Amino acid sequence: MLGALALTTHVAAGASAQPSQAAALTPHAAAHTARVIPVRDEGRLGFVADSATQIVDEGHVSGTIPGKARVDFTYNGSPTVTARFVIRAAGGSLYGRASCRLNNPTSPTPSFRGALSITGGSGRYRHAHGSGELFGVFHRRGYALLVQAIGRLRY
Amino acid sequence: MGRLVAMGLALGSIVLPTAAHATQTATIKASFSPERLGAHTTVSLGFRLAATAGIPSPLTGIDFRYPADLGIATSGLGLASCDPAALQEHGSSACPANSIMGYGSAAAEVPLGPEIVPETASIVLVAGPSRNGYLNLLVAATGRSPVAARIVMPTLLDNGHLHISVPLVPSLPEGPDVAVVRVNATIGGKLTYYQRRHGKRVAYHPQGVVLPKHCPRGGFRFGGTFSFLDGTQAQAATVVKCPPNHA
Repeated sequence: MLGALALTTHVAAGASAQPSQAAALTPHAAAHTARVIPVRDEGRLGFVADSATQIVDEGHVSGTIPGKARVDFTYNGSPTVTARFVIRAAGGSLYGRASCRLNNPTSPTPSFRGALSITGGSGRYRHAHGSGELFGVFHRRGYALLVQAIGRLRY
Repeated sequence: MGRLVAMGLALGSIVLPTAAHATQTATIKASFSPERLGAHTTVSLGFRLAATAGIPSPLTGIDFRYPADLGIATSGLGLASCDPAALQEHGSSACPANSIMGYGSAAAEVPLGPEIVPETASIVLVAGPSRNGYLNLLVAATGRSPVAARIVMPTLLDNGHLHISVPLVPSLPEGPDVAVVRVNATIGGKLTYYQRRHGKRVAYHPQGVVLPKHCPRGGFRFGGTFSFLDGTQAQAATVVKCPPNHA
């Protein structure tokens, strides 16, 4: 029994923080040198608000990009749950979304796992994009989320 | 579906064919208590079936539609699952307290010889084992007299839609089937759940279904298609008007 909702973004292992060749070949690269890094962040998020099928949680995440995360988690009873999230980190914010499959929904703490994508950001992450996996546990009583994200971030 | 006991009725008459069926009509009703956007609430649902003449044909299925943005999955109801076989055999007392999602009642008309005898049944809504990741709601109806029977109807909660296959319940062995004429049920309400806290089992009341903070245009729409043994269908719909927003 998990008892909590966990969201995990998985950044591909083996990626290193180095300038992107693709970025170097574009005119845009003159002003912005892209970095690609593996990311692994995790945290326990607490309930902030809800509205029907949507739950909003916030909390600190630690890992490659520590910061404060806010997740809008939507669960309507079908096996697919979706999440939109913002991580406010030092120097900027990251925005993303995920679509995951929820397992064992009648458990007090069903787990979920699915694909995550970084769709943008601000500040030092204004060019951010990436992908990965999100893992989590959803506490159906209390609405807490335990999340872990593993992925690859380009910014 | 298994039947508890076939009959609780002394019989002295010959079982005659049921009254002639006619066109069936259906009405449904729905309400929230409290009616407050963004708040946890108890959802009450019900339907009535009638025939233009005689009693309705036995009900065989219900396709029910409810607002997809009703927070049933996020209600905190159904935190445990009940074994359908145990529910069938022993009733909801065999289910974990945290699997109970609501209660209700049903009324049926039982053709016994030349007479139509009313029957009432209690209903319990229980979370069942998940199938393919969907929330599985078990609807158990238990009647006592004149027909003593329990039926368990599994149904999937699927994003604003649920389908219930209703098994036929003979009034007597090889006799005509019982005709459902009314069902009322609530999701949520005064339920008692238990949780472990500091090693102790602590009771609490689950908050229930969450209403969205914004009302759908035109209100919360509910609908149902009812299928009958004679091959006919009846449709019904209702709308819960948008409550005042106190958020």
